[in-house]
Amino acid sequence: MLNAWRWWRGIIIAFSLVAIGRLFLPLPFVNEVLIFSIYTIGCNFLLGRVGFISFGQPAYLAIGAYGTAFYLFYFGTNPYIGILAGVTAGFIFALIVAPLFVRLRSDYFALVNLALAVIIFYMMQKVLVKITKGDNGLWFLTNITSTPILDLTKPSDFFIFALLIAIVLWAFYKYVDGTIFGACCLATKINETKFQFLGYSNFRIRLMAFVIANTSTALAGCLYAVYLGSVSPEITSPSRTADPIVVTILGGVGTLFGPLVGTIAYTGLRDVISKMIGNWELFIGFILVFIMLTNSSGLYGGAENALNKWLEKARVSNLNKKKPK
Amino acid sequence: MDIQLLFSGVIFGLSLASIYFLISIGLSLCFGLMRIISLDQLLYYSIGAYITYSVVTVSNNFWLGIIAGVMVGGLVAFIVERLIFRRIYERELTFSMITSFGILLGGIGIIKAIWGVIPRPIKPPFANQIDLLGTDVPAYRILVIAIAGLVYIGIWLFLNKTIIGKAIRAGIEDMNHVEGLGINASRLFTITFVLAGALSALGGGLYAPLIMVDPSMGLEILAFVFMVVIIGGLGSIKGTLISSIIVGQVVSIGSLIYAPLAIMAPFAMMLIILLIKPTGLYGNKLNK
Repeated sequence: MLNAWRWWRGIIIAFSLVAIGRLFLPLPFVNEVLIFSIYTIGCNFLLGRVGFISFGQPAYLAIGAYGTAFYLFYFGTNPYIGILAGVTAGFIFALIVAPLFVRLRSDYFALVNLALAVIIFYMMQKVLVKITKGDNGLWFLTNITSTPILDLTKPSDFFIFALLIAIVLWAFYKYVDGTIFGACCLATKINETKFQFLGYSNFRIRLMAFVIANTSTALAGCLYAVYLGSVSPEITSPSRTADPIVVTILGGVGTLFGPLVGTIAYTGLRDVISKMIGNWELFIGFILVFIMLTNSSGLYGGAENALNKWLEKARVSNLNKKKPK
Repeated sequence: MDIQLLFSGVIFGLSLASIYFLISIGLSLCFGLMRIISLDQLLYYSIGAYITYSVVTVSNNFWLGIIAGVMVGGLVAFIVERLIFRRIYERELTFSMITSFGILLGGIGIIKAIWGVIPRPIKPPFANQIDLLGTDVPAYRILVIAIAGLVYIGIWLFLNKTIIGKAIRAGIEDMNHVEGLGINASRLFTITFVLAGALSALGGGLYAPLIMVDPSMGLEILAFVFMVVIIGGLGSIKGTLISSIIVGQVVSIGSLIYAPLAIMAPFAMMLIILLIKPTGLYGNKLNK
């Protein structure tokens, strides 16, 4: 019981804070934070655990969003089945591209992913214009029916749903970090030759990690689609490809709550700054360069390090006090 | 297909290839020598185009605009190299990628602040057509191809006949030995980076009359430049030339056959080439 509490403690505290924030922050902001942090955690896992930097996360986001959108626009009305359809689409898509991509070296991987995002953008905007309606996007807010327990058409109920999803997802990633698979991921990042020597397959581990990360990215896309009730190619536009990377680095690469903290900082800053000067890219660019140059470990990473150092100090001074007796 | 249409398609493709070549050669050189992925080449490309636009509207002389664009592009590259890249050469590849993407985004923000977000047209220096093998082709496109050809020859001579060029080539093979021979590595890096930035700016200035100049022009061409670099193999100049010609032709001929193919075909080709050879046509395995 105590162990279970210790394991869940961080997640529960973090998301209770988000739930408390719901009381005095505007609802669209909290919803955006939840969806965006789900979007970022896949990227965080890839970058921090597997060592893959992906500038193409919007591609997977768009696949999930369009999967949901197609279902809700053309076939059905139930948002839960829509989300399921989107996640399945994202899973299958990741499974198709994964064997091609994970063989590549990390730099080629980033470039190919970026190219993929741009291609998906053009596909949705121009090539598949008959079914995606091009730049106008698909609008299906009125198609979504109310469901009995959690009514996803209401933003307040959507918040509870997104919160539950986020808790499950965070618990899942925390669990993965603790398993042998998680250790394997870290090992391929640090020393792939030695890892191969131990008898594991780099390819298989990376494939699994890639599929897991991008399925969770697709899930964020589905949530966006249901929440906004519309999807347009803007979701994967080339100028937004860096968003998840920026948030990951802002929050702290490879930390569990980095994506959440990073998202809150990023979305908050964006709302404040675009009201003040309206020139948003400039600011993001400079933040990115600044964090990279000062070599800091992000907001959450930095706070975690400081906390650990402080705890360590307290422990050492306690020991010193005891010694003379 | 009409043979005249095909011929003008080939010329169009070659002029596209020239622009791709001018930008991706910088990316490729930077990767080869300093082991960085410098996405901010796309920023110098935009700066080159914008400076050309400004000078042309003031002085009405296109060539003055190009020269000013190249000089400002090189200057900005110099400042960025001294201030930022200097500190991150030793770091991992992904590090330089993220940093340079930050520079690109910040630069686009500055461009938006100075010139605004409205796309602006530039008049080509001459609009007449040349009769080539019974087909009318725009003279300006021929000129762009000729300039890119000259640049390739110039780079080849620079790398093969001058001491600095030879040092750069040796540095691509093994930087430690070059340093051991007493060659100033940091000056070599600066020269290469400024050269790359100036070439990107030249590409931007030359391409500006063919398209509209707008703040996100760098992001639009990004995917194509990447395809060129990936297909050719990072760090290889010959590979960059060949793959830029391939991508240019595929875009141009593909759009003649079926318009959306222009964007899809190079990507499909890139995937196939990467499946067969994960390091691109002329790339080799590099350790870092």
